[in-house]
Amino acid sequence: MPSSQLTMTHILRRSLVHRRARSLSALVALTVSAGVATALLTLYADLDAKLHHEFRSFGANIVITAPASAALPANALADVRRAAGDDALAAAFGYAVATTDRGTPVVVAGTDFAAVKKLDAWWSVDAWPAENDANSALIGQRAANFVADEHDVKLTFAGKPVTLHGIGRLRTGGDEDSRIYMPMAAFTAWTGTAASVIEVQVPGGAAKVEAAIKRLQQTLPGMNIQPVRQLVEGESRIVDRTHTLMYAAVLLIALTVGVSVLATLSASVLERRRDFALMKALGGSQMQLIALFLLEALLLAVVGVAAGFIIGSALAWAISEGNFGTAALPRVGVLPLVLLLNLTIAVMAALFPARVLRGLQPAALLKGE
Amino acid sequence: MDVLETKVIELKGVTREYAGHGSVVKALDGASFDIHAGEWVAITGPSGSGKSTLVNLLGCLDRPTSGELKIDGVDVASMSAKELDRFRADKIGFIFQQFHLIPYLSAVENVMLAQYFHSMTDETEAREALEKVGLGARVSHLPSELSGGEQQRVCIARALINNPPILLADEPTGNLDAANQKIVANLLGELHRYGHTIVMVTHDPEMAALAQRKIALSHGKVFCHPTSGARMVRLQRRLDLA
Repeated sequence: MPSSQLTMTHILRRSLVHRRARSLSALVALTVSAGVATALLTLYADLDAKLHHEFRSFGANIVITAPASAALPANALADVRRAAGDDALAAAFGYAVATTDRGTPVVVAGTDFAAVKKLDAWWSVDAWPAENDANSALIGQRAANFVADEHDVKLTFAGKPVTLHGIGRLRTGGDEDSRIYMPMAAFTAWTGTAASVIEVQVPGGAAKVEAAIKRLQQTLPGMNIQPVRQLVEGESRIVDRTHTLMYAAVLLIALTVGVSVLATLSASVLERRRDFALMKALGGSQMQLIALFLLEALLLAVVGVAAGFIIGSALAWAISEGNFGTAALPRVGVLPLVLLLNLTIAVMAALFPARVLRGLQPAALLKGE
Repeated sequence: MDVLETKVIELKGVTREYAGHGSVVKALDGASFDIHAGEWVAITGPSGSGKSTLVNLLGCLDRPTSGELKIDGVDVASMSAKELDRFRADKIGFIFQQFHLIPYLSAVENVMLAQYFHSMTDETEAREALEKVGLGARVSHLPSELSGGEQQRVCIARALINNPPILLADEPTGNLDAANQKIVANLLGELHRYGHTIVMVTHDPEMAALAQRKIALSHGKVFCHPTSGARMVRLQRRLDLA
């Protein structure tokens, strides 16, 4: 018969199987810890992008205006798009006060509907004008009361008439409701007025917005470039608070799981005091016994990470899909952090039982005292 | 030199004190005796007489507070805990009253456990040790599948596997019925005939009578060490009555 060896792995495997209820209880706790940490870290990694995406729907966070009695440079919009970055959105606006066919003054704004549709995604519009329709118009909720027929809007500016086809109604609850929006080319041809305002949406927190403003100031010297403070600060505050909340959640869960694992491992050592006392009597050193015990805790932690990563990634996917409408894909990058967290919990939880092992009195225990 | 002239255990004025509630308790008080290679010695005495303390010291599980304790010619009193672990694995084979087998390891693996902590494991050797104690057919059984007597024989095989110079048996038949007590007693007798040094703690006068020499303990002192089994039984009765 071939001679086989008795190894620490063999002892460990038999011990875990023999005490399967206790082992399973520790494994579940460590899997929960790894699962929650994976889910939170995966969501955390996607959080900035997702929150900034959400904040985009609130519109511009930088407004560029020409100084009084001056106009924006002709190529200002192109310069702004270049300076603000590829992921920024921008739209130019020109404003004039015209008279409706009812003799009521109304603010008419020229703009690029395609750009506004992206920039001001929060606007409530029942139908956006087509890009190739040169005389189409978007009529504000209140402005609709100033015209005789909102599908055939007759306006006069400086004695020059124009007829626009009202395509859709606009509701924002703000000043926009009192305006009539039309394509920029037709607006300039009719009023002879160029764009005087550019609204920009830069994704990112306050620091990124400030950096963009500096670049814009260098690109467009002499122009008024102002952040929309409430929006920028609000976004920063929410992102920061969400980060803090997630850190606190991970910490709280780690503590809870740590206590649970500590209780399980301590009970496990107390149950096996006599086994360890015997091993000590047979010549097992303190280091060997602690290594055996630590290895068991670490093994459970690693298996917990493997199971927890799968469960946590699925959880993050479901949370992201449910809250942001896009799935958060599994991130292998979070694995080292989750592993570190679980190993730390396992080692910390094993420290107390290791103290019990150090104080073991083999003779008394083996005597049954 | 004759084997019996070689001292494997030497105690000179060995004292072991424990701190109690505001006082110091002398569990062993100036014990002095020698045990020679190949001897079978019984240690007897009532509860609280210091037997467990003496077993701890002889088994290198503890160190004396004062005095000189030599095992196989080496003074263990000055050894570090780590050195004692190593020394214990080399020199002492333990036989326990409650067997203390690891419940999730088979009989042969329990024997191999002593090899594991000593040096390296060898299953063939462990199987042979079990065959010697009459358990060749039970090597793969878990302790729960063995009778008390069989478990004690696994314990004896485990104690012998590293060929230690001293077998320390603490109430080896205390948990056994009469039939298994006889099997274990015969096994110990056989080991003694093969030249093993056996130090046996026992309450049982019949078991004590099997030993060549007895050491009686009372209140931490080595009371006497008569050579006659019959005298020992009488003395033990007096001690128990006292």
